Amino acid sequence: MITVGMDLGTQRVQVVIVKDGEVVARATVFSGFDPTKAAEQAVDEALKQANLKLSDINHFSSTGSAVDMAPYANSKVSMMGADAKAAVYLVPKARTIIDVGAEEARAVKCDEKGVMMDFVVNERCAAGAGAFIEAMARALEVKTEDMGPLALKAERASPINASCVIFGESDVVSLIHRQESKPEIARAVYDAMADRVSSMIHRLGINPEVVLVGGVAKDPGFVASLNRKLGLSVTIPEFPEYIGALGAALVAATRAKETSK
Amino acid sequence: MSQKTAEKKFMPDVPRKEIEELKNSITAASQKIIADNIDRMKKADPHRPEAMKYFDEMANLFGPRQKEIAAEKEKGKKVIGYMCLFAPTELILAADAIPVRVNSGWYDTSKLGDRVVPVEVCPVIRSTIGAKMIELSPFLEQSDALISVLTCDGMTKLAEILGDYKTIWGMNIPRIKDTTQSLRFWSDEIKHMKTQIENFTGNKITRKKLKQAIETSHKATKAFRRLQDLRKGSPVIMGRDAMLVNQTYLWDDKKRWTEKTEALCDELEKRLQQQDWVCPPDTPRVMVTGTPMFWPDNWKLPTLVEEASPQGIIVADELCSGERILNDPIGVDEWSMDDMLNSISERYLMASTCPCFTSKDGNEDRVNWLLNKVKEANIQGVIYYVVRGCMLYAMEYTRVKKALDKINVPVYYLDTEYTREDVGQMKTRVEAFLEMLTARVDF
Repeated sequence: MITVGMDLGTQRVQVVIVKDGEVVARATVFSGFDPTKAAEQAVDEALKQANLKLSDINHFSSTGSAVDMAPYANSKVSMMGADAKAAVYLVPKARTIIDVGAEEARAVKCDEKGVMMDFVVNERCAAGAGAFIEAMARALEVKTEDMGPLALKAERASPINASCVIFGESDVVSLIHRQESKPEIARAVYDAMADRVSSMIHRLGINPEVVLVGGVAKDPGFVASLNRKLGLSVTIPEFPEYIGALGAALVAATRAKETSK
Repeated sequence: MSQKTAEKKFMPDVPRKEIEELKNSITAASQKIIADNIDRMKKADPHRPEAMKYFDEMANLFGPRQKEIAAEKEKGKKVIGYMCLFAPTELILAADAIPVRVNSGWYDTSKLGDRVVPVEVCPVIRSTIGAKMIELSPFLEQSDALISVLTCDGMTKLAEILGDYKTIWGMNIPRIKDTTQSLRFWSDEIKHMKTQIENFTGNKITRKKLKQAIETSHKATKAFRRLQDLRKGSPVIMGRDAMLVNQTYLWDDKKRWTEKTEALCDELEKRLQQQDWVCPPDTPRVMVTGTPMFWPDNWKLPTLVEEASPQGIIVADELCSGERILNDPIGVDEWSMDDMLNSISERYLMASTCPCFTSKDGNEDRVNWLLNKVKEANIQGVIYYVVRGCMLYAMEYTRVKKALDKINVPVYYLDTEYTREDVGQMKTRVEAFLEMLTARVDF
């Protein structure tokens, strides 16, 4: 049984190939202007890695914000459904999954089989998501990937408002004018994000164990702030940015079995 | 009398030319949207009932009903508009006047409302202000007076703003409903409204006239309930179709609406016998509750749910633009004027599940209504729909969620705006929710 999961996100397309329950390839391509083409490229790359042909694949499943633009797709699965499926596959005890991507943050509760039971999404606002870090990094004139390590050097917290990217940016500017140090401002950005994300999760209710996934899970600054805020230590699986694609590939396997019955 | 000439307290002076241009362009766009909504509803059900044709016509806000009302006005009839369901329409009918509900469902006019109130204000309010600004809404324009019930903050101030153009009668609704002093207070409001309507129309509301009006409502409620009952089993009508029928009551002629709805139910009963379902009987059954959804633009959620993949079907709602309109009959024991007025007071106050109420147990009536409906209509999931700025519904969510969690029925809080731009985001959420409802059985 060989299946492909495609996650067509706002910034990147990720593809995972699963063969008999094991991941055999991962590939990423920038979404750009043509997500369909980007997904074709990513599938192509992943097939090469695993030494497979298109015709070897039993089932393709897609997810992500551009789910309906996916090539080859035999079925689709929601981003939240994919999160739950993949998180439980990687961390069997996972019951709450926090996924923070470029434009969206969400939390999913699931059962022991990885079936989602409830979910919540930060609606109509990117302040709790990765794009916020990028905007703030620009204001601080540092690279996005340097923001996290910078924040870890902060000695104290200075609060800012993260109700919105635009307001957040003007708050950061006032911190700059108050001549706060860069590490403290960077930490303020993550604290504000963690605030948004954690109040969203509290509305859902936390079931341990909590797993953090999505591109932002690789940012140590955000992880530190979120752990502080939630008062626990979230589990971060390997390749957290591939969670959507992996979930889709696993769902694809279930569906392929169903149809072959 | 209908158009005030005094200085405007809120509204800016918009040049006539701009009013005409905006009115023409938004009217044209709106007619397209109406046609598109109906087209999509037709496609959803290949065996769409014949009786829906009538409601499709009635759905054209710029169509035959507007002309009919204009002709009645020519003959001297008054039109009395209202914004909240608490307006006692039987009193309006008994005074030979025409009741119409005038809240706006147009997205484009909410941007015009931003010229008067901040964007944080609920878009139903902003849009209604904008619609008045450019004279877009036929029924609002035709209203000779407006009944404004002070339910939420938005409605309270909307009345003042519309007061720049129209005669406004405020009705003070008690926020705690289950006490004798509240009912007495509200009863006085109802009696005062009777006098106001009589003076304004010049028509006395006699015992006989009021009895007839209540009987008209009774028949409408009977037809209305028959339709909602038909939605409780395997699906014989798309949710959107039923929701449209329910909503047209707000501006249609009451007796004709009742006849047409009974005819629709006759057809649906045949369908039921033939087991001719509009979608597979295992399609997830969804209930919608929250902010009212007004035709024509604000049809995006029902459309999304029923066009989604996996598909859902709306089999019930707890909306004041939907099932709340006619759910409860007026219980009259003796047909004396006093008894009828008291019965009207009770029906409008006690039966309402509007979140403007609180009591010793909070707004328990609404929670209980929802829980009962979940059982009765075999609801698998609830979408709690809120537009930004709609505080009362937003704030009651947590309680409703807790109550539904207890009986293991998933609920999703969907917040949106009067805009078409977020349909993609909404689709993602709605589809994830529907997938969850199927997944609880499936994978």
